[in-house]
Amino acid sequence: MALQNGSLLSSDRKCVRSPRMKNHKLIVSQSLIRSYRASIQDELQKHAYNFVLCDPGLPDHPIVYASDGFLEMTGYSRDEVLGRNCRFLQGRDTDKRAIVEIREAIREERDCQIKILNYTKAGKPFWNLFHLAPVFSQQDGRVVHFVGVQLPISSKLAARKDGHLTGLELSFDELEFEEHFDNPSCKNYHLSEEDKQRAFAAVKAVLQELANSSCKGVSSMRSKSFSEGVIPPGFVATSLLLALTRIPHSFVLTDPHLPDMPIVHASLEFLELTGYTREEVIGRNCRFLQGPDTDLAPIEELRSSISEGQTCTVRILNYRKNKEPFWNSLHISPVRNSSGKVVSLFLTHSLKCSPFQVAYYAGIQVAVSHSSEEDEGRARMQQLGTLGAIKVAVRSIQTGAVLRKSKTIS
Amino acid sequence: MLAIKRVPTVVSVNQDCGSVSRDCLQSCFLTGFDLPLFKYTKKMKTTELQLLGDEEVPSSPPTIERSFLGTLLLSKWEERASQGLFRYDVTACESRVLSGNYGFIAQLNEGRHLKKRLTEFRVDQVLQEFDPKKFNFSKVNRNEVLFQFGEGEEAGYYDITPILSSPDFVLINVSPIEYGHVLLVPRLFDFVPQRLCANDLLLALYFTAEVDCPYFRVGYNSLGAFATINHLHFQAYYLAYPFPVECASITRINKGSLKSSLRISELVDYPVKGVVYESMDLNEIAISVASTCQELELRNIPFNLLICDCGTRVFLFPQQALHQVSQKVLDTQVNPAAWEIGGHIVLKRKEDYEHATEEFVTALLAEVSLSDPDFQDVKNIICK
Repeated sequence: MALQNGSLLSSDRKCVRSPRMKNHKLIVSQSLIRSYRASIQDELQKHAYNFVLCDPGLPDHPIVYASDGFLEMTGYSRDEVLGRNCRFLQGRDTDKRAIVEIREAIREERDCQIKILNYTKAGKPFWNLFHLAPVFSQQDGRVVHFVGVQLPISSKLAARKDGHLTGLELSFDELEFEEHFDNPSCKNYHLSEEDKQRAFAAVKAVLQELANSSCKGVSSMRSKSFSEGVIPPGFVATSLLLALTRIPHSFVLTDPHLPDMPIVHASLEFLELTGYTREEVIGRNCRFLQGPDTDLAPIEELRSSISEGQTCTVRILNYRKNKEPFWNSLHISPVRNSSGKVVSLFLTHSLKCSPFQVAYYAGIQVAVSHSSEEDEGRARMQQLGTLGAIKVAVRSIQTGAVLRKSKTIS
Repeated sequence: MLAIKRVPTVVSVNQDCGSVSRDCLQSCFLTGFDLPLFKYTKKMKTTELQLLGDEEVPSSPPTIERSFLGTLLLSKWEERASQGLFRYDVTACESRVLSGNYGFIAQLNEGRHLKKRLTEFRVDQVLQEFDPKKFNFSKVNRNEVLFQFGEGEEAGYYDITPILSSPDFVLINVSPIEYGHVLLVPRLFDFVPQRLCANDLLLALYFTAEVDCPYFRVGYNSLGAFATINHLHFQAYYLAYPFPVECASITRINKGSLKSSLRISELVDYPVKGVVYESMDLNEIAISVASTCQELELRNIPFNLLICDCGTRVFLFPQQALHQVSQKVLDTQVNPAAWEIGGHIVLKRKEDYEHATEEFVTALLAEVSLSDPDFQDVKNIICK
């Protein structure tokens, strides 16, 4: 399933959760709540399919929902899989090409249906017809989740002439696992149209359920205008998101081409530092972090640097959601657009304007004590290192997904 | 003599000057010089820590967070960039993926290549003696040195330390292909020529593992396979996109055994013939790869290495020693080294970039691929 790292854990069957997901139960439930009604878990329970939902906006693209069928098929408990990346299903003999195909589909934000060798918790291999589908937000076109449906294939089934029963409806015990994964009858098992249709039907049913339960509107396809090149403001491609979520520090990306330069991405660490949820910050200008005792001088310095397209570092008093103040060593910097072309005029409320290939303005936060030399050095390294990682991420090439076209501000 | 035209690129600003400048690394070493030091430890690699899960406490927790080396490297690189030490801004270079089966990545980089030639060495000989008169890494400007890298009992970072007695250095490449392009120079002051041994390769693997990022890859080019400097070094940079070779189909060629988890496979259906070594045990990979490479060196077969997946996958591409290259290919001035064979092609001319196709790249790479019988010989060496 979803992966950012192609390495395989060769023999260990233990699940691994990203160390950044310490609060995973909360984070996972928030992932569902932000897009769907509270009843979504109950609605999804009604379906007998084996499937998971994953969130590409969280570190390591983790599972945020797993059906009972999925847990039964794989032998894990719900708590063992939530918050973890699906790569635990792979093993040493899983074909890398299959993994690559899934990875490409994720990057390109499209469906994919593929036969892949997976492993249960006990280490038994089984062939799996896996179908991946993105769930798009109707508001900003982003992929909010990926749905993954699994249909185990068994050679016993391959031998069946009638082919009516498939893994979707058989219970876990009835499926016979091959002694040797490369049982020829299974490798050459040509997926019947019926199998494919069943997988499609399962995906469709799940997507329908999500769309019905959605508070802000999700769908299995992007809006027509999106495909024609009209990109909604605040759109962030999955390929960029996957790279950004690898960065384990507090930062935000803001879009200087949109009015009032709103946040379009905030890292998990930023949310933890400030106490806000994703919903509460995306689309807003960072000034909500300022408060009654914030000095005007750093604010002015920031404003002036942004209007010139410059980097700067300030020490500013910010406030968490619970009103608790903290000193923030904030470093801001423009991040250039990897397409290399001048995409917009960078015009702000000042009279100056300059052609500048800015994709985003990054803001990197380090919580510091009021005045400490040691903090300065550590903060600086954190800031520049995070900025470098952001630049690497922004240079990820977006294929398939329509490239963001910035509008000229006149 | 080799027909392919070698394209000069500059990795250090001092590369062209004949005399030793006062600020070069060698002078600073003699007079005393402080640099940051990153110490890695061979104990308890981070992949092992991961396997313990959240509930268990590792017996010896790391003193620094995972991938701190990555943060260090990026922050130092960014600092150098803001000081204007690079010849151009690589973040402004356009890239695109060529449509087709492989997904080659083409980059337009007009600044990377020079017009004039630099002093060179024979390109048809894989093993050559170190020549102190030619450019080597002790002659780099002190600003091009990011930090020292060394092994210790405990992992740690030291902001300012004097230079170690036999230091390994990480330097910037002033003509970067991508963000974070650095050079890893093991035991710089031993003045070893560009040739491979297990310990040096192991250092490169530990380096890759410590950075702990699948976007960070390390490459090695032997002489005759487009290495530019005859002083032992590896190159590395970040690319947040899969290299085409990482996605290629492979088929195993070594036998599995209970004692070893090393898998050696050959590339299937890729323009260049090559093998890939995979294991979670870095020692195993280093020993096996180095032994093959030393054999190739003795037989004067040039080769490239590409280290991926945080050090757990190493690709080996042996190259044709002598060959005819079509004029059309020569004119693009693309030298198929480790990155190019991996699928990341840097093009210097706009027209080449705009008209680049998968067919063009496949033809270019196929020029250096070994013939079937020659490749079979290499496989025989590996599986001996």
